[in-house]
Amino acid sequence: MAATPFPARQFSRRSVLRGGLGALAASAAGVPLLSACGGNSSGGDAKEMSFWNFYGPSDDQGPQSKWFVDTVEEWNKNNDVKVKLRYIPGKDYLNGTTLQTAFQSGQGPDIFLISPGDFLRYYNGGVLQDLGSALSDESKADYLPGLLEARSVDGKVYGLPMEIEPLAMYYSEAAFEKAGLSEADLPKTWDQTLAVAQKLTNGKQYGVMFETQPGYYQNFTWYPFMWQGDGNAIKDGKVAFDSPASVQALKFWGDTIKNKVAPRKPLGDGGGDVVSNLGSGAVAMQQSGIWAVADLRAKAKNFKYGIIPHPTPDGGKPATDLGGWAFVANSKGKNPEAAAKFIAWALGSTDAAGVERQRQWNTVVKTNVPPRKSVQQAADAKGAFAEGALKKFVSEIAPTGKPEPRFPPEVYQPIADAIQACQLNAADPAKAAADAAEKIDTFLKTYQGAPIS
Amino acid sequence: MTRRRREALAAYAFLAPDTIGLLVFVAIPMVLAFGVAFFKVDGFGNYQYVGLANYKLMAGDDQLWASLKVTAMYVVTFVPIAFVVSFALAMLVRNHFKGIGWVRSAFFLPNVVSLVVVGLIWQFLLVDKRGALSRLLAPLGLGDVSFLGTPSLALGTYVVISVWFLMGYQMLVFLAGLKDVPKELEDAASIDGAGPWQRFRYVIWPLLRPTSFFVVVNSTIGAVTGLQAFDLVFVLTKGGPARATSTVVLYIYEQAFTFNNMGYAAALTTVVVAILVVCTGLMFGFTRGGRFDED
Repeated sequence: MAATPFPARQFSRRSVLRGGLGALAASAAGVPLLSACGGNSSGGDAKEMSFWNFYGPSDDQGPQSKWFVDTVEEWNKNNDVKVKLRYIPGKDYLNGTTLQTAFQSGQGPDIFLISPGDFLRYYNGGVLQDLGSALSDESKADYLPGLLEARSVDGKVYGLPMEIEPLAMYYSEAAFEKAGLSEADLPKTWDQTLAVAQKLTNGKQYGVMFETQPGYYQNFTWYPFMWQGDGNAIKDGKVAFDSPASVQALKFWGDTIKNKVAPRKPLGDGGGDVVSNLGSGAVAMQQSGIWAVADLRAKAKNFKYGIIPHPTPDGGKPATDLGGWAFVANSKGKNPEAAAKFIAWALGSTDAAGVERQRQWNTVVKTNVPPRKSVQQAADAKGAFAEGALKKFVSEIAPTGKPEPRFPPEVYQPIADAIQACQLNAADPAKAAADAAEKIDTFLKTYQGAPIS
Repeated sequence: MTRRRREALAAYAFLAPDTIGLLVFVAIPMVLAFGVAFFKVDGFGNYQYVGLANYKLMAGDDQLWASLKVTAMYVVTFVPIAFVVSFALAMLVRNHFKGIGWVRSAFFLPNVVSLVVVGLIWQFLLVDKRGALSRLLAPLGLGDVSFLGTPSLALGTYVVISVWFLMGYQMLVFLAGLKDVPKELEDAASIDGAGPWQRFRYVIWPLLRPTSFFVVVNSTIGAVTGLQAFDLVFVLTKGGPARATSTVVLYIYEQAFTFNNMGYAAALTTVVVAILVVCTGLMFGFTRGGRFDED
């Protein structure tokens, strides 16, 4: 949908409900921006804060749920302002309506989790709290370069990342052996990927797999292929999507389907679900994130696999996307100051307990690359990255990564449509890229929020 | 209190829960949605009066038109197919035979399963290369067909799944209608020498018109706004591949909850409702409400 500038007349929700339509149409501008709706916009000092998340306390009481519960318990023991967890199942949190309707009615949580794709929407909505005053300089300096910048506007930090999740290609050792292939055949380029995938494809198995379901996740997994050719969707505030880099990346994904070496519909939860696809033998190579190491460890212990960096195009450079969610505080919540303090404490503390809490989350209950240097060192000391896939992720793959872009929906959607059309509907990549660029350009011309990167 | 008054009171009391429910959960939200359509709503509680701007946006929104086309295609395929299939089923299980209860229940069974589960089961059956259907078709050289992953096939697949899901319910409606066809009329026709087809064509079919009308209207509305237009698509394909199954209801959901354009979504809703009202009105007009000819 093209963005059209609307006349700047503000009304509050209450006045809508109170006045009825006729009165509304008649009454002119000037009602101050809604402040009475739900929470306290000036920041209250309530003694209890809600923390919505998709980890705990969950029914399965797993280690990730337990980390959330324990962290909150620890905080509540030592602080007057208590935190109360509310668990929202992942599917509803990601694609559902709970969070959106809560914010729309002014009843948003005090603390919540946010993905890069949602960051600008919430920032531009004016509900993200500046965490700066709660965050020590030592803590800021501890984060790897670029991570805080991706969650900052005008130098102010609005979210603390809890993890880094890079992407790579997973492959099944058994599938390679069966096809008479060895480690030397692991693809380094796009052309090699298509050729090897051909050899790995048979009546029951596809050679390679990328996500095919439309959504934020698919875009996230596609961006590295665009970056490899030095392309981007937006550069210096202007659209840059219509470039050879985007076109060749769109074409590459389309070729995997056109050559019939990749499935059109993955199993289980889709592209990120390695156990259901690679693990079941349905595909021989699959792009996925670092979380799959933990998934395979838990659900397919005996499955033999390896990882390689994303193959690159001719003359391209290695690239990966550094996903990862962040804790953010609601500036219109019941106690934004305390919420900021909680976040800085839970994720950013540089004391021994704080580092250990982060080490637990990133390398014990989950497999991530820790976003902080001190935590990486502590994990290294415990041998977390000594061998195998995790070693490769930390030493070889993550350093080639960029933080996941914070594109608002109006930028994300045209790109998603281009990916879908080229991958699954044999559309012309050059035309798809040009169409998407035009839509993004139209949007950027009237966009007034924080810088898009 | 007189008996009459008491009975009237009882009637109102019985009607009250439904009336209140309809008012609170349907009528009032509809009126409010109509109001919200005149505002730009940012998803964070801020409302900005924009007059008809949301409606003007629709003309240039190609994705809206594409999704309306998907919905239209779905309606014109799903409604007649579902009608014929469920009517045939109703005729099949109309007369008593041994085990009829089981057969009827079997046809109705899909309808009691949650649509989300239905979606997951079908996804499982239709998985590329490894699904049951792919294996069945493999000897014909069609093992590689991806029913939910190919844009030209996805909508058709979705029609088949919806028919399978809803045929039992519509069969039940037809059965109820068939029960109302007096046996004497059929017997009389039979004595007059009418064969099975003539009995069907000249006795059963005309008497079933109100039922048929109900089924057509009901399934049209269901096809545009019902659960199968959202839940099933959301689980099966999320509107993909390449927007091939992006129904208008899914598009409205995206506008509201992905783009945070609640005002625009509300405006779209009012348009969809208006289209439905017009379509239903036309159907009423053409069939005179499905009445009997002599009424």
